[in-house]
Amino acid sequence: MDALSTLAFSLIVITAMVILIFRDWRINTAALTLQYLAVFYLVTLSWPIGLAIVKLIVGWMATAAIGLTCLRQMDVDTPIEPTSSLFFRGLAGLMVILVIFVISSTLQETVFPNVDLVIIRSGLMLVGMALMQLGTNALPFLTIMSLLSFLAGFEVIHAALERSTLLIGLMASVNLGLALVGVYFIMKNNERNVVQKEEENK
Amino acid sequence: MTLNTPILWVFLPLVISLITGIFHRRRIFGVIATCTTGFGLGTLAAFFPEDMVISIGPLTLTFVESLAILGRQIIISYQILPFIAFIYFATGLWAVGSARPSVPGSFRPTSLVVTALLTAALGVEPFLYAALFIQAAILFSIPMLSPLQSKTHPGILRFLSLQTLAMPFILLAGWLLSGVETLPPDSPLIVQTMIILGLGFGLWLAVFPFHSWVPMVSEKAHPLPVSFVLFIFPTAIALFSLNFLDRYTFLRTSQGLYQSLRAIGVLMIVLGGLWVAYQENIKRAFGFSALAETGFLLLAIGLSDQMGLSWLLMLFPTHAINFWLWGFTLSLIETRTDTLSMRGLQGFARRYPIISSGLLIAQLSVAGLPLFAAFPIKIALLSAGFNVSAGLGTWIFIGSLGLFFFTVRLLNDLVTPDNELTTSGWSLTEKSSVYLPILLAILAVIIMGLFPHVILTNITDTLTTFNQLQ
Repeated sequence: MDALSTLAFSLIVITAMVILIFRDWRINTAALTLQYLAVFYLVTLSWPIGLAIVKLIVGWMATAAIGLTCLRQMDVDTPIEPTSSLFFRGLAGLMVILVIFVISSTLQETVFPNVDLVIIRSGLMLVGMALMQLGTNALPFLTIMSLLSFLAGFEVIHAALERSTLLIGLMASVNLGLALVGVYFIMKNNERNVVQKEEENK
Repeated sequence: MTLNTPILWVFLPLVISLITGIFHRRRIFGVIATCTTGFGLGTLAAFFPEDMVISIGPLTLTFVESLAILGRQIIISYQILPFIAFIYFATGLWAVGSARPSVPGSFRPTSLVVTALLTAALGVEPFLYAALFIQAAILFSIPMLSPLQSKTHPGILRFLSLQTLAMPFILLAGWLLSGVETLPPDSPLIVQTMIILGLGFGLWLAVFPFHSWVPMVSEKAHPLPVSFVLFIFPTAIALFSLNFLDRYTFLRTSQGLYQSLRAIGVLMIVLGGLWVAYQENIKRAFGFSALAETGFLLLAIGLSDQMGLSWLLMLFPTHAINFWLWGFTLSLIETRTDTLSMRGLQGFARRYPIISSGLLIAQLSVAGLPLFAAFPIKIALLSAGFNVSAGLGTWIFIGSLGLFFFTVRLLNDLVTPDNELTTSGWSLTEKSSVYLPILLAILAVIIMGLFPHVILTNITDTLTTFNQLQ
């Protein structure tokens, strides 16, 4: 594991934990942006930079679409959560990290013998954290972020297994489509909030 | 002049849906465009010449069955055209139902996109990339299930999450399958591959325990788009799943796989039946009933050694007409009452007898009542189930009773006079635009039930696509 791989892996763990623990869209958008940077580096271990950069551009485009929509939202204030909620989610995240460290070596030996351990660990880390996030929230914004993280984790591992231009194109479409669905949900909720507030003011 | 079949059945509907999407507020235009496209492409697929040459006066159109995109191909072969014809006819049918003003405007263009993407999914080579087309279709189905004016309910998020989780499992299973073909049958990697593949299909088909979104979405979303989604995705995915059996000998010859499919299918039938039996909300009941029907699809695949695959394909048209009638009548009921609970519908049949009859007949047909569309297939599957084991047949029978029980309860409430209303007599208040489609659908349900071999057998030609499964 070279220094850059370790850095990318650490970045993935930190950003995944941040997205899991916090509910503020600004923090989560920043974390997702950094996460895609780490994903890009890990994909370059399997693919040429010219192809891997597609993941970075698509990821950043998806993040920008969601972030900018949140920025335009009427209700930008995030409710303050009790420390116990943050602590619980942090603890859940640590458990995921522990489980991934335990199973990743076995998984490499049995299923992915030709894939670097750092790639498996990073991919599984993203997948595991995203699943934990999906299980602990019902907010459209966070659900879409979790799904994007989940797909990013899968793509890190799958990039080491297969390379196809059509697959890259289709995965890019799916990621962008998911981001657009996220934008749709955020806009929908915002419009309803605006209508509700207008009715209350009347 | 040379054309490609994928341009006709994939790209043309996409372009038309784009146009109807731009003018989605023009309801009549949208209905006409979507109906014409659906029925037009369906008819063309049904009567397409085997030599793929069409002559119109001096113009001769020669069709090529494949189209290359980024080094891969989409192939719409002659053998799969009966199925393509069927799903485009079904899309046209749903477009007819979408003429009601209560149906979200986004339904018409997105239903056409979903059908086009699922068509592409069935034709893409390598076939595993179909997972991405199916995922794209799922993303496009979001606006129809959760329109811009409505609140985002948790069910739709769960639908999106669970369906999205399926795609990586299928792609991963595809990669694993390419390596396990040469392994000995007792290799643990084969079992792991089957589990990953099973998880992918389980998520897609909302198999227990991944089913929770079905009743949630069914309760909150508009019934017509829900009926479309609950019909078209399991249908296309069930057909797509046959590719795996066709291409991988170890899957095709694995008795354990068929036993598992039968067991999961029966579990879905029993659970769906039990859940629907005691439902109070008629929209949620539809969702649970759809789960039981998915169980029948899995059971039919599991009984492939007893003509199960033919029954599977014959189930598709019955699902189409039954689900359409069920969704259409539910959408009419929704606009005429404040509540969709059984108690709230007391006396409804006295005011709206044809809508109520349509709903009850749709339910009884899905349940497999004699003379109705699903009966010939359900009875065949039940017999095949008893041939395998008495226990299997008994559980299928018990599961099927659930919807009968619910329908009897609903009938009782629908005809019981509502004490709060001053008039409790029977009256026909529906307009012809309401009762005509219902009566035509009821007629179709009865004709399908009376003449199954005339109406339903054409679609079984689709099996010729799968060389090893015929």
